[in-house]
Amino acid sequence: MAVRIPNTLNELPASQPRFVGRGIRRVEDASLLTGRTPFIDDVVLPQMLHCAILKSPFAHARISSIDTKEAEALPGVVAVLTGEDVLRWSYPAQSAPEGWGSHCMATDVTRFVGEPVAAVAATSRYVAEDAIELIFVDYEPLEAVADPFEAMNSDSPLVMEDQGSNVMMDRVFNWGEVDQVFSDAEHVVREKFRWHRMGANPTETFGCIAEWSPLDLSITLRGSIQSPSMFALGRASTFGLPPNKVNVISHPHGGSFGGKGGSRGSDITCMLSRKADGRPVKWIEDRIEYLTSGGSQAWDRHYEAAIAVDADGIVQGLDVQLVDDIGATGDMYGAICAAKPLAAFTGPYTIQAARYDLKLVATNKLPSGPYRGMGPPPHFFVLEQLMDRAARLRGEDPSEFRRKNFIRSDQFPYTIPSGNEYDSGNYGEVLDRVLELSDYTEMRANQVKAREEGRLVGVGVASAIEPGVFDWNAYAIVGMQGTGVPEGATVGIDVMGGVTVRVGFALEGQGQYTLVSQLVSDFFGVVPEAVQVVQLDTQSAPPSFGPGGSRLGVSITGAVLGACEKIKEKMIRVVASLMQCEPEQVRLLDGKFGVEGVPGAEMTVPEVAGTMLARSDLLPPDVDPAPVATHVWTAAGRTEPDEEGRAKSYLTAAHAVHVVQVEVDRATGMVEIQRYCLADDCGTRLNPATVEGQTDGSVAQGIGAALLEEYAYDEDAQPLTTSFMDYLLPTVFEVPEIEKVAVVTPSPFTPLGAKGCGEGAIHTTPAAIMCAINDALLPLGVQTTEVPASPRRLWKLIQEAQS
Amino acid sequence: MSALVPVKCHVNGRVVETMVDARMTLADFLRHELGLTGTHVGCEHGVCGICNILVDGQTTRSCLMLAVQAEGHEIRTVESLSDGDKLHPIQEAFMEEHGLQCGFCTAGFMMAICDLLENNTNPSEDEIKDVLGGQVCRCTGYNTILRAVKNAAAKMGSAGA
Amino acid sequence: MKPAPFEYAAPKTIAEALDILGQNDLDEVKLMAGGQSLMPLLNMRLARPSLVLDLNHVEGLDGIREESSGLRVGAMTTKRVLEDSDLVRSQYPLLWESTVAIGHAPIRNRGTVGGSMVQADPASEYPAAALAFDMEFVVMSSAGERVIQAEDFFVTYLTTSIEPGEILTEIRIPRLPPGTGWGFQELARRHGDFAIVGALATVRVESGLCCDPRIVLFGAADRAIRVPAGEACLEGAPPSEASLTVMGDAVFDAVEDPLSDVHASAEYRRDLARVLSKRAMSEAMSRAS
Ligand SMILES: Cc1cc2nc3c(=O)[nH]c(=O)nc-3n(C[C@H](O)[C@H](O)[C@H](O)COP(=O)(O)OP(=O)(O)OC[C@H]3O[C@@H](n4cnc5c(N)ncnc54)[C@H](O)[C@@H]3O)c2cc1C
Ligand code: FES
Ligand code: FES
Repeated sequence: MAVRIPNTLNELPASQPRFVGRGIRRVEDASLLTGRTPFIDDVVLPQMLHCAILKSPFAHARISSIDTKEAEALPGVVAVLTGEDVLRWSYPAQSAPEGWGSHCMATDVTRFVGEPVAAVAATSRYVAEDAIELIFVDYEPLEAVADPFEAMNSDSPLVMEDQGSNVMMDRVFNWGEVDQVFSDAEHVVREKFRWHRMGANPTETFGCIAEWSPLDLSITLRGSIQSPSMFALGRASTFGLPPNKVNVISHPHGGSFGGKGGSRGSDITCMLSRKADGRPVKWIEDRIEYLTSGGSQAWDRHYEAAIAVDADGIVQGLDVQLVDDIGATGDMYGAICAAKPLAAFTGPYTIQAARYDLKLVATNKLPSGPYRGMGPPPHFFVLEQLMDRAARLRGEDPSEFRRKNFIRSDQFPYTIPSGNEYDSGNYGEVLDRVLELSDYTEMRANQVKAREEGRLVGVGVASAIEPGVFDWNAYAIVGMQGTGVPEGATVGIDVMGGVTVRVGFALEGQGQYTLVSQLVSDFFGVVPEAVQVVQLDTQSAPPSFGPGGSRLGVSITGAVLGACEKIKEKMIRVVASLMQCEPEQVRLLDGKFGVEGVPGAEMTVPEVAGTMLARSDLLPPDVDPAPVATHVWTAAGRTEPDEEGRAKSYLTAAHAVHVVQVEVDRATGMVEIQRYCLADDCGTRLNPATVEGQTDGSVAQGIGAALLEEYAYDEDAQPLTTSFMDYLLPTVFEVPEIEKVAVVTPSPFTPLGAKGCGEGAIHTTPAAIMCAINDALLPLGVQTTEVPASPRRLWKLIQEAQS
Repeated sequence: MSALVPVKCHVNGRVVETMVDARMTLADFLRHELGLTGTHVGCEHGVCGICNILVDGQTTRSCLMLAVQAEGHEIRTVESLSDGDKLHPIQEAFMEEHGLQCGFCTAGFMMAICDLLENNTNPSEDEIKDVLGGQVCRCTGYNTILRAVKNAAAKMGSAGA
Repeated sequence: MKPAPFEYAAPKTIAEALDILGQNDLDEVKLMAGGQSLMPLLNMRLARPSLVLDLNHVEGLDGIREESSGLRVGAMTTKRVLEDSDLVRSQYPLLWESTVAIGHAPIRNRGTVGGSMVQADPASEYPAAALAFDMEFVVMSSAGERVIQAEDFFVTYLTTSIEPGEILTEIRIPRLPPGTGWGFQELARRHGDFAIVGALATVRVESGLCCDPRIVLFGAADRAIRVPAGEACLEGAPPSEASLTVMGDAVFDAVEDPLSDVHASAEYRRDLARVLSKRAMSEAMSRAS
């Protein structure tokens, strides 16, 4: 049945939406606020054991021997797992690029500090940790490589010997007449940039409970798992099982931001359970494990980039060379972060030609993974610094320079050189609104005064695109296969008018269950309290990917509305038959089915549901009597990538402009954010309060990225930031009040016109802060090109400028 | 094996008297021995504040105390805040202001705020920040948490007046 | 991240505590005060005592007493108690500033004055305050009591002159001479973090000239340090910008070999010592009467 999903709020069967579009209270909160929501470490299963994992202290070493006898003899220890078991029972993980996956545990050589080398299941975590201290490993240390440029040298130690090289991928993509626009250019601005490793750090680390069923060779895996169906596929592949033999039960989790990780720990606990005759084995990653060997690290990037600007100040070309240090293996999928910029390579600008020279390099660091925004945040940091430099070269205000390079609102849908299509936007309006909000002119005037007093005050204006509703085809260049990412929901109505919605993903903070209740409430004229959202495991759920790639809000809206539409169609036929009229005459509005032209002929939704459930004998013979429907939504019109990686990938393109004022202390290099203003346009706001929440949180993460967060390693690839004393997350003192204003340009292509907005501000925030810092440093004649702009770095620059 | 040692304390108004492993942290004791899993753990080294509870009314990191050190003390956790289905004003304020997203950090914030507001229903912005400063929320960016504190302060102030 | 096994004792008196110490291998015993430094080390298994001797139940180790010469603070007094004390806030403002700069409220609720002193973290505020005030440390052992002067107390990174088997019981804090101005400055990556570098300064101004200037740095060496060379520049000098510059340069020269880590290089710390000591001393000068 072809289903038409409303593209605007007006198309909902409500005279006035009462819930969608409003910042209503969240249905998930009461349980969270009272401490009742079951996070994975709150779950206890009968006979459950606890896992601790022994990690490699060396970045690169050969394991000559492992002695587990004493550990096995410790009272309370039930199973000990080593590389030998792992070789017997599992395959190397899938990876991007292909062939760079490893086993969940080192089998002969360790390739990064923190790589598992053995694991224990015992009656408590305390005992398990005692036991791993009784495992004795003989290591033969090997030379490690921590620098991707060294790793590319022919005499470098090899991270994966079989590969014969540390270069995972080396390709140049040309989109348009790049050489031409650069040779025709009036100005070419070129610079090197460095973005240091940082990453997600949700407050809850990864955790899981695995049960291996010895009877039918199946796995039940509970955990704080962001994408349950993908995770099930991953486990099936490592164990050579059919995917339907792996049942993943995701639990509500304490944030994820793409960086939950957990595949190694899950595989280890599955095999420990197997060794322990199927007893459930729990592993809760501790914070130090998360920081050193979890899904925590992303974006370790060395850039050299240039833009070509014509005589009118229009940017015609963008040339980006990226050396991305992926770390030891490709199985945590850090590589897709390098592919994602294709979805918005040229940002909000009309740049017509672009080149991407991409090298993915293996080193003996923790394999990198995804993080909120995936890859564009560093990319936009680079682009926006170049934009500022070009504006300065031409003596133009950075905001006006951006404005004249913006894609105009009449140019949408707009195809960018790297192939993606932007759905809609009104970039000039977004800029106007934020300039107004920040009182930009006055900000600049204050800056002049501050400079006269010798203070280093700077204003940054940065603009970026947030690609929304991801598609696998966006990552084709690093080897990800396929097009289309499904999200399904099953909606059912009971005789009392209660609506139950079954979904395949767990809560992780974005308020998706609230969104589902809002949609259903307006569709069927009920209240959110009457809507029950139920999460199913992967063996029972409709096809689902879950949160990720700024997709779930839009996708679940499509799925839920699709299912509601299907129920509505069934009910219309039931009502028409009962009222003896044509289905075309029946309308659903505010929870009641009425018959056009017959006043008073009405049935409520529960009445129709009750009739369907109780009196199938009264229904037309070809109507399914269940007031239940499932709809699986996928983004329409996505295309196969061409040879240059070009595809219609992400469905939506949200846009934002941020204006930030900072002051740099010239004696200490400390940065203070004095004002933070932003305007953004993510289409229809289905729940403005949750959208704002995503924005605030994403600004905070962007502030962390720009100023605080960094995974440092020494030359031997030993991690130096292994606790929260050294990996610094922003606190309430570092995040200022975030002043926001919204512009709404609905998407013509999506359910209710909403755009992906979950990843949000981190696309723009680091760029904006770095622009502001560089603006502040202008009087000294120096510029920073390194993220994070930590005080020691800025101090050094300032020292150099003053000497 | 560590020694088992006796401990007697009050937890959320009830007497708890039992033997514990000497090395067990108070966080683990509350969560895994008493089943009070509303207190979460984020770092186990004192930095994130997620495990905050009240010990004799003062905000305390439950990961930086041994269970046995609860001896003779009055412990309060998030489970003590609401009264049946009636939420505490701090919980209501968090809900109204969208002061939580994933909710993993929230108990730690609410207990610290409880400590603050039970002693002062009219805290200044600086006093609020001082109390919230030692803990991490990765989701909200703190703006709505600050609003929730002010909202809760108003609620508790007017209830007390 | 769970502690290794240990036994636990919670004596009620000092005598009992010393008794337990006497019966055990001293290298295997760890005294526990607020646990705000020790617990993370236990959780990470970086400290592995076989016995934890908890001082929290020992009588007579906490509280503030005022005497004519100054304060007597029990080693187990929490920072929160100092922070909440009107006496400390009004009469010992430099001590109060040093207190509230330590970590965060929950850490100060439990962390003790004695614990911070014995922990002797080079980036900690309290050892620096000890040098600024010429505090005295009263230490008990089975051999009796001894008093250690602040300048002899801090030996190096995480090490004091307290011997195994000794318990710090009290800290004596002399009142600063009337008219003393004070300044406190620290730079940390985030509010409440351990400082990269911090500076405490005190000075009196008599007949328009600086008198008894004192500069103490933390985070600039393997322990809190006074900077006599910097102090010497100011003695008898006018409280001016020019004097501060000379002093700052002397501090810079004196801080020869500071720590280098991911947050700050040695050269950065050295320059911060100059900048922050100047800022602290400038505050002190403006407060001196
Ligand atoms: C997140 C966080 C942030 C922090 N920030 C700061 C900061 O900015 N500045 C700062 O200075 N500190 C900071 N700290 C450390 C904190 O101040 C500790 O409280 C302090 O260092 C130790 O005091 P304690 O009472 O907790 O001692 P404990 O941790 O119990 O003990 C510390 C050491 O002292 C010994 N000891 C304790 N008492 C005695 C005694 N009476 N006699 C002999 N030995 C004794 C113990 O055996 C142990 O070796 C921070 C801690 C955390 C967790
Ligand atoms: S878990 Fe206790 S402070 Fe982080
Ligand atoms: S709400 Fe998720 S960490 Fe605070």
